[in-house]
Amino acid sequence: MSGGLAIEAKGLFKAFDGKPAVNGIDLQVPRGSIYGILGPNGAGKTTTLRMLLGIIEPDRGSRTLLGRDRPLDAAREVGYLPEERGLYPSMHCREAIAFMGALRGLPLDVGRKRGDALLRDNGLGDYAAKPIKSLSKGMAQTVQLFGTIVHQPKLVVLDEPFSGLDAINQGRLEQLIRDEAAAGTTVIFSTHVIHHAERLCERIAIIADGSVRFEGEVAAARDRLRPQVRLRTRQKDGAWRAALPAEAVQKGEVWHFELPLQGVEPLLKALMDGGAGIEELSIERPGLHDAFVQIAGESAARQIERDQLADLEAAQ
Amino acid sequence: MSSIMEAAWVIARRDFIASVYTRSFIFFMLTPLLVVGFSILIGFVSARSDMEDIPVVAVIADSETANALDQARAHLTSLTSERAFPLLRRIDAADNVGAQARILLADEDAGLSGVFSGTLERPVLSGPERIDEFVGERMTLLVEQAQRSAALATASPDFRPAAIQRDITGEAVGNLREIRTGVARFGQFIIFFFTLLLATMLLSNLIEEKSNKVIEVLAAAVPLDAIFLGKLMAMLAVSLVGIALWGGVFALTAAFSLQLLPEGVELPAISPAVGWGVYAILLPIYYTMNYMLLGSLFLGIGAQANSVREVQTLNMPVTFLQMGVFVLAMLVVGNKGGILPMIAYIFPFTSPLAMIAEAGQSPALWPHLLAIAWQALWVFLIIRISAGMFRRTVLKSGGELRIMPRLSLGRRRG
Repeated sequence: MSGGLAIEAKGLFKAFDGKPAVNGIDLQVPRGSIYGILGPNGAGKTTTLRMLLGIIEPDRGSRTLLGRDRPLDAAREVGYLPEERGLYPSMHCREAIAFMGALRGLPLDVGRKRGDALLRDNGLGDYAAKPIKSLSKGMAQTVQLFGTIVHQPKLVVLDEPFSGLDAINQGRLEQLIRDEAAAGTTVIFSTHVIHHAERLCERIAIIADGSVRFEGEVAAARDRLRPQVRLRTRQKDGAWRAALPAEAVQKGEVWHFELPLQGVEPLLKALMDGGAGIEELSIERPGLHDAFVQIAGESAARQIERDQLADLEAAQ
Repeated sequence: MSSIMEAAWVIARRDFIASVYTRSFIFFMLTPLLVVGFSILIGFVSARSDMEDIPVVAVIADSETANALDQARAHLTSLTSERAFPLLRRIDAADNVGAQARILLADEDAGLSGVFSGTLERPVLSGPERIDEFVGERMTLLVEQAQRSAALATASPDFRPAAIQRDITGEAVGNLREIRTGVARFGQFIIFFFTLLLATMLLSNLIEEKSNKVIEVLAAAVPLDAIFLGKLMAMLAVSLVGIALWGGVFALTAAFSLQLLPEGVELPAISPAVGWGVYAILLPIYYTMNYMLLGSLFLGIGAQANSVREVQTLNMPVTFLQMGVFVLAMLVVGNKGGILPMIAYIFPFTSPLAMIAEAGQSPALWPHLLAIAWQALWVFLIIRISAGMFRRTVLKSGGELRIMPRLSLGRRRG
């Protein structure tokens, strides 16, 4: 099984001061995929990633990273961007990128050349010989990201990579993640921003309170909810009302309800036969946000919204 | 193991460059100069102060008497010390010497303790009834010495002391022991001095990575042992740059000074028991071992600190710990046998200082091979334990504390 998996975790458990932070997490990240770990702050995402990378040891459970039981054995094939970004402020950008590559076994001169190319290709060529402390927070984060991928790893682990970036840099990062995946690199990232996961990921794990509530394809998460129907009719009452499910809710002149299991055609026929006088009928596929609310619960959904708001304020 | 060394080299290189390519490194390099300058200043001030403390006695006498007293003082101070006899200050005689003495003794600026007048046959010492005991006794000795010299000169004007015939032998044990004790102390002091300078720097060495959050990047990429080892290697290299510079300056100065020596002047034959060749190899090895042992301990202790303030709080106990190590190691100098010297040889943190002293005192070489292997083992153990403690307490990793693959401390979890 591990042959096709970049990461496989079974029953990871970690407690701090007797309080479980991660409570029996199972993950399967296919090679070459973009995988998102979605959950509010404090859900256990960072602790999970740190255990996967071997920075901390799990109290229980096992994990393999690129087929190796000891994560540090795979360190040269892994790139990691921690949530709390860390660079030496006095180091020049080129040197910082080369240093991070050298930590993963890339010769310094090769790291410098690749660093120059990455900076130049992303409009930061003028900063190659400037110290990190002279950069803005977003630029420094970009430099660290280049340091994370400079050794061309097989697996890139990004902890809250969009945090602290403005909209333009978030877009660039999304593109970079897509480019890495297109080159065959497995990318796993944690986020509390649902639309990043929705736009980028093939598979996700939804984590809340230290445990995985859902693990699988994004489409499968959305498919857990029935499509939502919006209906507006000329007739306010009549036989057609029998076609609506019992849970249907009327807001103003519009009815909202889940599409019945029988599908859209029987519903449409019953409405027409009942003389509803359809003015508007739309069927919307639920988004990942709706799936998240349903899977993780209202409380986690409210928390994730607060986290996103805090992120926006921080970026501004 | 090679990957650990490779990673340690990457860390060491970064730390070395970060330390050396700074303005503050110039001040670091000047430290020995500052220490020497400070010592000279202290010595100068202390010497001035010492001279100022010596009582002064005015001499109102004819030049023959005054010369005799000066010669007596010179002779006696050469046998004792400059401070052992009052300073003599010649004053021209006035008409009434008794009155002149009273005026001089009352003069605040003159600051005299007594006044000598008269001749050697009829000496007079003016001063208060309870004249300073030191001045009274020592002036008596001076006068008596001058009288004896005068009497001897009168008895036989052609008197010449007989030249002492020398009978040259091999080195006397007493002399050899003294020389080797000196070499032993020298080696200990050199190692202690240079290690002392680095202790506080090592304490705060991981604070940078912790405050910049770089530690997370490092810990995910390389083993913590490599981070600790790399940091130790970097600071060792920094210190070796300083030692090389000042060692070179010292060697050039010594070579130049030897050229200036007058012909025929022989330097004393100073040599450690193992010989200079072996000693020159052992000194840097024991310096490295002493540095690595104390450095890994201090790095491990400092790594637990969360702020610069905590590190500053640790400075004093760490300095005293080094002083304690130095004092314990000093016990082996000139001391054969006994439990404390034995502890100093075996206790890892005193072993390098004790063994460099041993190299000065004893020609046996095998104890050094044993000691170096013993010390290297402890360097390995301390780095492993420090890195393990860092992982458990700072990174909150938990899990078992592995020292070696089959040897672990602490409760197995999970």
